[in-house]
Amino acid sequence: MNPTLIAGFCRLYSMMLYAYPAGFRRDYADPMKQLFRDRCRDVARTAGALHILRFVTLVVTDWMRTAIRERAAGFWNAGREQRRHSSVTEWAGTILIYLFATTTLVQAYVIPSGSMEGSLLVGDHVLVDRTAYADPGSLGRHIMPYRDVQHGDIIIFSYPEDVRETYVKRVIGVPGDRIRMERGQVIRNGRRLVEPYTQHIAAYPDNYRDNFPQAPNASTMPRGRDMLEHYVVNGELVVPPGMLFALGDNRENSEDSRYWGFVPRSYVIGKPLAVYWSFDAPGEDLKEWSLGHVVDVTTHFFTRTRWNRMFMVPQSQNAEERP
Amino acid sequence: MPKNPSPRELLPLTPPVFHILLALAEEERHGYGIMQDVARQTDGALQLGPGTLYGCLKRMLSAGLVEEAEERRDPSLDDERRRYYRMTPFGRRAVRAEAQRLAGAVTVAMSRLAGEHA
Repeated sequence: MNPTLIAGFCRLYSMMLYAYPAGFRRDYADPMKQLFRDRCRDVARTAGALHILRFVTLVVTDWMRTAIRERAAGFWNAGREQRRHSSVTEWAGTILIYLFATTTLVQAYVIPSGSMEGSLLVGDHVLVDRTAYADPGSLGRHIMPYRDVQHGDIIIFSYPEDVRETYVKRVIGVPGDRIRMERGQVIRNGRRLVEPYTQHIAAYPDNYRDNFPQAPNASTMPRGRDMLEHYVVNGELVVPPGMLFALGDNRENSEDSRYWGFVPRSYVIGKPLAVYWSFDAPGEDLKEWSLGHVVDVTTHFFTRTRWNRMFMVPQSQNAEERP
Repeated sequence: MPKNPSPRELLPLTPPVFHILLALAEEERHGYGIMQDVARQTDGALQLGPGTLYGCLKRMLSAGLVEEAEERRDPSLDDERRRYYRMTPFGRRAVRAEAQRLAGAVTVAMSRLAGEHA
């Protein structure tokens, strides 16, 4: 487990601590954070993925139980000590925090296609950090660490052609960038990118895919056509404000911005925090849980789980630029 | 400042409280040190999460079983200051009473289950 992941966990944990009553937090939040970090470091140094999973489960169950218990303690003591702070609102606070944590901060997501192979495999179950690219506003920026989407970031976003679907790709172009591709290589603002994270497996040559931008062809989606019509200047694609140009790492086998256009910045959901489980199964099975898939998982859980991918962190990685 | 003059009124101690006291029987420890020692004592059967640990310590402080020692660094970890806890004489009496109670319970268990072992 690497330091980035530990830092991510610690950040999530310090937010989870808001479920405890204010008084308890004031007295114990700091040592609890310290203990959590110490334990993470020790586990990372000495033990395998299974131990980390066990520790995470322990912390989450401990959190749910004791946050409620400390609230209850405040409630029972209220009669004796400070009647005014007993309160339904405190309880509502805890429940809200639970809901907030499970819906806003993180989200589970399964990789359904091989377009990011090299970084993410079909069947990787990833935890998505939803806070990473959510602009917390001018006030929130002081509290939350915030950095905008940058070159090389892996992003999870709503698929622009159908927002019910969620895609994962790597950011190649941000607003103002000029992008083109020559024989499968990206040239950004006149500089050739050396992208160590890509995988090139070309089943067949495809002029549109490898030498971009071109006139739209049969596989270009409506938004892709719109992009090619309006944003190509002198044979280069110019990324407009509020948009991102994203490609899959499995460059020759990826349906990405080349086909369906830009990703609006506001469609970005978050960044992958870590793979928490990786199960070798066909992509279609992973989109919806069928009875067959449940049986498949139960019978092959141990053999088809890719244990070595557990707690792997998909990394942002910027390409090297060569003139 | 113990509110209970007799430790007997606190018995039986809950397993976390009992093992936290045992962890502090020989030396002062910080939270993470207590957590590790409790896991060692119980062969890993009792893993205290941060919420359980500090919730217990809070109640044990107000019951006068433990007290806070001064904050200091732990050379085996890093440079940060950590809050240490120490057992009070009242805490020592309580854990001793609990150990006696458990010893009594074990004697009863042994005699009643003796036939099954032979």
